[in-house]
Amino acid sequence: MIQPLTYVVVALAVVLFAGSVYYAVKDRLMDDRLLAVAGLVEVGLLVLLVLGLANLGHITDSTEKATFAAYLVSLPLIPIGTSLLTIKEKSRWAMGSMAVGAFAVAVMAVRLQQIWNTYG
Amino acid sequence: MADPTRRALGGPGVVLVVVYGLLALAATGRSVLQLLSYYDRAPLAYTLSALAAVVYILATWCLVRGGRWVRVGVWACSVELVGVLLVGTASYLVPDAFPDKTVWSHFGQGYGFVPLVLPVLGLLWFRKVQREATASESAGTTATV
Repeated sequence: MIQPLTYVVVALAVVLFAGSVYYAVKDRLMDDRLLAVAGLVEVGLLVLLVLGLANLGHITDSTEKATFAAYLVSLPLIPIGTSLLTIKEKSRWAMGSMAVGAFAVAVMAVRLQQIWNTYG
Repeated sequence: MADPTRRALGGPGVVLVVVYGLLALAATGRSVLQLLSYYDRAPLAYTLSALAAVVYILATWCLVRGGRWVRVGVWACSVELVGVLLVGTASYLVPDAFPDKTVWSHFGQGYGFVPLVLPVLGLLWFRKVQREATASESAGTTATV
């Protein structure tokens, strides 16, 4: 369950990244459509957090387990933070930070998946 | 629109806030983990890791607050730049002291060299903010446009 969900989250984060870059280039501000994508990413990360913590026993190595948990907890903070910034800062730069955040989410979600896959 | 004497945020600064925030998050997570679970393996490297985390959190704060925090931010970015250069060099010269990747080891290779570039961008940004602040002061305006 966790593995397919990470794929979905990575895909959504990539869509959010591409959308944010497009908006930044076109000098468009955050709108409902892009915010909805960010919302979907957030929901995915929260479900991942719950499922991940519930199945933490799957990872046997204690260091990797701790890293996995730290990523799970950190990830949902990113879309919230960058979305709040787009409310405060009404410029294309806010869309740039949205893109940076989405990219980080994608990379971290891939890392999560790598750790998870190590344990079959 | 934004008052440069009060806010460092605004324009490109907001991107810096996010990148700094992300690094603060990563460095804090990593160092807490290292200090709690295997501090004895490399006390120096992990202490430096924790220091990096503190500096990133401080720099993020300075970027968001602006105003008099800009001067603190310049210090934070300078410490960061010196830190990444020293630790980066040391990790190549004395690899034994740095068994695991930390934010600053190998010039931040594990983070796409972002830690190497970021303090420079931070310093440039803070300098711009300072310059705009002095410009508006000398012009005798209160910069409330």
